[in-house]
Amino acid sequence: MLFKDQIDFVRQHVKKNRMRIFTTVLATTMGCAFLIVLASIAFGLQGTMKEEILSDSAVTKIEVYSNDEEKLDEKAIRSIPNVQAIVNKSNIQASAFPTVKFENRSGNSEISFSNFEQAKKAKLKLSQGTYPSKKNEVIVGYNLGQNLLTKQELKAMEKEDDTTKEKENKRGLQQSLLGKEITVAFQTEDDKKTKTRNYKVVGIGEKPVKEWLTDSTIQMDEAMKPIVLRDYNKVADQKLKEKDFYYVSHAVYATDLEAVKGILKKLKSMHLSVYSVTEQLDQLNVFFLALKIGLIFVGTIAVLIASIGIYNTMTMAVTERIREIGVMKAIGAGPRLVQRLFVMESAYIGILGTVLAILISYIISFASNLLLPKILEAVMPESGIGELGIRFSTIPWELVLIASAISIGVAILSGWRPARKATKIDVIQALRQD
Amino acid sequence: MIQLQHISHTFKIGKKGNERGVPVLKDISFNINDGEIISIVGKSGSGKSTLLNVIAGFLKPETGSIHMNGKETTNFTEAEHAKFRMVNTGFIFQNFQLMPGLTAKENIELPLKIKGVPKQSRKQHVQEILQKVELEKVADHYPNELSGGQQQRVCIARALVTNPPIILADEPTGSLDSETEQEILQLIKQLNVQMGITFVIITHDEEVATIANRTFRMHDGVLKEVETVAI
Ligand SMILES: Nc1ncnc2c1ncn2[C@@H]1O[C@H](COP(=O)(O)OP(=O)(O)O)[C@@H](O)[C@H]1O
Ligand SMILES: [Mg+2]
Repeated sequence: MLFKDQIDFVRQHVKKNRMRIFTTVLATTMGCAFLIVLASIAFGLQGTMKEEILSDSAVTKIEVYSNDEEKLDEKAIRSIPNVQAIVNKSNIQASAFPTVKFENRSGNSEISFSNFEQAKKAKLKLSQGTYPSKKNEVIVGYNLGQNLLTKQELKAMEKEDDTTKEKENKRGLQQSLLGKEITVAFQTEDDKKTKTRNYKVVGIGEKPVKEWLTDSTIQMDEAMKPIVLRDYNKVADQKLKEKDFYYVSHAVYATDLEAVKGILKKLKSMHLSVYSVTEQLDQLNVFFLALKIGLIFVGTIAVLIASIGIYNTMTMAVTERIREIGVMKAIGAGPRLVQRLFVMESAYIGILGTVLAILISYIISFASNLLLPKILEAVMPESGIGELGIRFSTIPWELVLIASAISIGVAILSGWRPARKATKIDVIQALRQD
Repeated sequence: MIQLQHISHTFKIGKKGNERGVPVLKDISFNINDGEIISIVGKSGSGKSTLLNVIAGFLKPETGSIHMNGKETTNFTEAEHAKFRMVNTGFIFQNFQLMPGLTAKENIELPLKIKGVPKQSRKQHVQEILQKVELEKVADHYPNELSGGQQQRVCIARALVTNPPIILADEPTGSLDSETEQEILQLIKQLNVQMGITFVIITHDEEVATIANRTFRMHDGVLKEVETVAI
């Protein structure tokens, strides 16, 4: 029998039992749609979380910590293939509080020291300007200007209560600090003030990725480290060594994302503690893989329940058509053809149900991504869920493929036994029926 | 040519453990030549249908062998039987066995579909056969819209459409009145003469024997040839 005729044959039978087939298809659709929508939650949340992680940190960055007190062997690390740069960052851990001044404005900041030629090599981005090349040049955080207030502004702010947020934007320096000269002095714990030094702003850091984050740090060249420490020790009661004054952290930058894994391995073999977003992503992926498998498993149970319907429908179809099958056999239909025709019928139900389920799932997924944030926002207005851009459900083509395979596969399997039964029908008995 | 040698068959009846054998075919041997009409007459229950089922391959006899067109078909698998039937054997049934959901034309087309004949060629074949059995006018009728004689013509057309050399008929006129019976018998005779098709006709009705070249009589599972004068 030609394949086209087989399909015609199946469609004729489907048409004849429209109502029964329809309800069976409906059950299959519900099972399959349940499977897809359920699993789409894992895909959606994974996507949201992945974006979240990737958005606020560099993927090629590997933070390195030496386990003991000894210094990091930068040379050895640099010799690892695909290492682009090692950027050091020294934060002041002693109690030395910087005050930044620009014209009649002043504010607090955080000072860190970096090896800029490496940062440049690592292609760390700035929103404006360039990396410093002289000792007295600095990069300031994107929000530093806003934090520098005049005396009047400071007074006005102290009077206001916290709720009047709107005015905040107008406060602080409105123009860019780029190319400007600022002064920085430190204050020790016992309220003594170090020498005031002048710095030129040559670069401004990137805008923080999240609305609520502010960056008002100042990054200085590493060459300033001993100078700042000397200033401090001149006035402080308790003299400090460099090791106690600074806390140094190291970040290794890989040439590209693919190189990160190899470098991580090497670094670990050097007995260093490492942290990379990619490791976090790996963990996240493992977690979501387990979640996906779990949800698909639960969804498959729904599909299996629907398959009982297909089994019943097909068994009934075979019983009803015993005489017809007998005639078909008598006029030359072999057992394989008979089996194929019935398996095709259950596959037809499976395919129809699956196609409908895919359509419905996309609609549900789309609607829930659109409506759920709004509903949650309405229920919990302060949570700000609506603005987070959470995707609750995503249906990638892999999920469509997996769900289709499961659903159509189960449909064919549940039609298998009735189809076998059809092949075993005895021609003589069948023709005797009336 | 169809050759049956020492065919015997016993049905087992009764509950398991308390079975009883009913011998239905007893050492039957005979040949059917190409282009012959053979009639097998006998009382109801004498084993005629069982014999035809054995020839058709619907039933495997306990002992004996069957050769058809030089091939031993006795030990064919079901799939082999189906394939053989598709090419070699057509069937005519007493109660027509038409598909109620298909029109006369579609019923006749069915064996060609099963055989895998392309649509264009199918159409042509069906048209030819419709003419031969004079059914053009009712080609698009469903079986329940046809008279008994017309239904039997559809059944015959369906058996003919694949051009088989052999047609097996079990009581082809059993459900027809005597006038229609004559029509059908004349049609069979005509097809036999025109196309050289071998017919094996089983009947309890002596009238059928009038178109047969040879007649056999079945009695309690024993087959004997009836000496006839050639017409
Ligand atoms: N499947 C079967 N099981 C048991 N007995 C059967 C079976 N088929 C036929 N018989 C018996 O075999 C005998 C011959 O039947 P059948 O060949 O149909 O006779 P006929 O066609 O000549 O009327 C009958 O007695 C019938 O009861
Ligand atoms: Mg009979």
